[in-house]
Amino acid sequence: MTKTVTRDRIATSLCGFISAGAIALASVQPGFAEDKPELRIAAIVSVTGAASALGAPERNAVELFDKTWSTRTDLPFKVKVISYDDGSDPTKAVSLTRKAIEEDKAHVVVCCTTTPSSMAILDTVKAAKITMISMASNAAIVEPASERPFTFKTPTSDKLMLQRTLNYMKRQGIKKIGFFGLEDAYGEGGLKELQPVAKEVGIDLAGTERFARQDTNFTPQALRLKQAGLDAVYIHAIPPSADLAHEALKRVGFTGPIYHGAGSSINAFVDIGKANVEGAIVGVGALNVYDQIAKDNPLRPVLAKFAELYDAAYGKGKVDLFAGQSWDAMLLTVNAYQHMAEAKSDDLAATRIAIKNAMEQTREWPGVNGVYNITPTDHLGLDKRSTFLSQIKGGRFVLIEE
Amino acid sequence: MIDTLLFLLVDGITNGAVYGLVALSLIVIYTVTRVVNIAQGEYVTLGALSFASALSGYFSPFSWLVAGGLAAFAVLDVADRRLSNSARIRMLLIRSIWIAGVLATAFAANKFPGSYWFAVLAALAATASLGALTYRLTVEPVSGASPIVLLIVSVGVYMVFHGAAVLIWGAEPQSVPPVVDGGVSLGPVFITYQSLWICCFAVLAMAGLYTFSERTLIGQALQATAVNRVGAQLCGIPVRVAGQLSFSIGAGFSALSGLLLAPLITANYDMGFPIGLKGFVAAALGGIVEYPTALVGVALVGLTESFSAFQISAFRDVIVFLMVIPILLWRNAVRPPEAHEH
Repeated sequence: MTKTVTRDRIATSLCGFISAGAIALASVQPGFAEDKPELRIAAIVSVTGAASALGAPERNAVELFDKTWSTRTDLPFKVKVISYDDGSDPTKAVSLTRKAIEEDKAHVVVCCTTTPSSMAILDTVKAAKITMISMASNAAIVEPASERPFTFKTPTSDKLMLQRTLNYMKRQGIKKIGFFGLEDAYGEGGLKELQPVAKEVGIDLAGTERFARQDTNFTPQALRLKQAGLDAVYIHAIPPSADLAHEALKRVGFTGPIYHGAGSSINAFVDIGKANVEGAIVGVGALNVYDQIAKDNPLRPVLAKFAELYDAAYGKGKVDLFAGQSWDAMLLTVNAYQHMAEAKSDDLAATRIAIKNAMEQTREWPGVNGVYNITPTDHLGLDKRSTFLSQIKGGRFVLIEE
Repeated sequence: MIDTLLFLLVDGITNGAVYGLVALSLIVIYTVTRVVNIAQGEYVTLGALSFASALSGYFSPFSWLVAGGLAAFAVLDVADRRLSNSARIRMLLIRSIWIAGVLATAFAANKFPGSYWFAVLAALAATASLGALTYRLTVEPVSGASPIVLLIVSVGVYMVFHGAAVLIWGAEPQSVPPVVDGGVSLGPVFITYQSLWICCFAVLAMAGLYTFSERTLIGQALQATAVNRVGAQLCGIPVRVAGQLSFSIGAGFSALSGLLLAPLITANYDMGFPIGLKGFVAAALGGIVEYPTALVGVALVGLTESFSAFQISAFRDVIVFLMVIPILLWRNAVRPPEAHEH
């Protein structure tokens, strides 16, 4: 008997607490009506999961954007950022995208960190007619633009990066290379891009080996590559597995140069690999080497400003390429919203389409990743000005002058 | 050709040693408590992560959490009305020493950042205690339930641990320095000292477990519980304590494998699950009850993984996990299920 009474009392007090909490929360919401229209951007980033090394800086940049833009009062509109974590899981990315479209009434979805997640939400955004800006590298996300009218992306494509890397290899006298990459969509995408580029440049792709992000041993594959008699190995992965693959190659006595794709162009690559990755040649974006590029490069002021903002918030020297992916996505959105042709109405569907049309009018817009020239047929809009090669020297990305 | 073989052999054995520790912990837990512990791999993760943070001198909230949990259960246990006063005092004393042990190792690691042994002790103490806590919290209330219930419970535990690891340590991988940098070249094969260290430690730990269960009274009590739960209870063996102990040993062993492996692959919150599954494949060869057969299984899994990665790297995990099917067929043929039901 006493037990039920206690239980009742607990239940009553719990109810009290919850309703008090609900009232407190509700009263935090601004009570007055705002006249300014609101631009709602949903950022879905892989803060956890296998791609967390990339997602963490992306989330930082989203927060930075939120802090600097949503408090601004000098704009003719307000900015609201809705931030989610897809856990590097494509299924979760899809459901979060739906949530952002239907419940949060977002105007733009910035998603996703990984290629698999980005590919997974393509149909959802196309059906909802909402602009999506991906932060993943694979070109297949935006190509062909006729089939993916609402999809854009900020990172330079694997293809541009591979063209630069392989041309450099060729000049170094490398004739025979091996591919060592992740076995997921990111790695497979890299391989698919590598094959035609290698043929075009005239380099022989003589071995392909795969590994998974959670593998504990990379030596067997590395041995196989070593025995193929290669001049160089190209690793297409992200840290930490990119580091581990690199170490395994060295361990089995592979002495040729080891190249990395843009997945490794992140500070975590050096932090994890330390002295083991010295000498690695990494395809990077302008942000990795922003203080080393030519003074007259149009990107330099944009990069310096972002690096200063980011480092002030997260510590000196912390800025890296992946923070730039989400940053560019957010700013491209704002830019498109500002240049929207149609009147800013309350019509959500019309605004979504207007933003998409404005995105396609982006001309010579300097971002952190490069200069964007987005057209209805080219939804990436970057050219070879967005790619650089660097070598790890003394724990830093050092620009290779070509 | 011969050096390739040697390389693969060395790697297969190193990985096998890691899986071996996990397989043994699965067996210890299964035989005593009948829990097929899906969460076993998470102890590997927790061991590696708490080791990484202890080594960097960061006092992780993990040790506090574990100590707090222990204290809560100590209070609950002591409040038991059926206990005599002297039993209460003894229990309180044991629990206090236990809690003090967890905190003391954590503080020592915090005080001497970079000291390998303190970090190992702190990680092992915290994770092993977490094993006992997990038993107390999740298995004891449903003890005697069917194995499938216990299995589902362990799935829940897995999810909680997985999320907690992200919450406490974040999602970024942490690099862990090896005990001794570098390695030794045996002919054409370069073996890192860490690999040798892993094998050494694994053998020592297994020998320790063997001596413990054969030569000590507590070990024999555990064995008795494993053979026949009811009989052991009738003989005066406290089955609850046996369960807690087996979970502690299991968690400690897995944590050990995690902190040994961490320098080779970095410590991250995602690392444990596949290792747990591979340990499971190895343990399945011994029906999750026989230690020696499980060790054969471990060598088999490690070597299969290493050689299949060399031959067809795209299919190596498929091959390792497919091994379960012939293993189960073989076990059913050799020893039909009725024969080892107690």
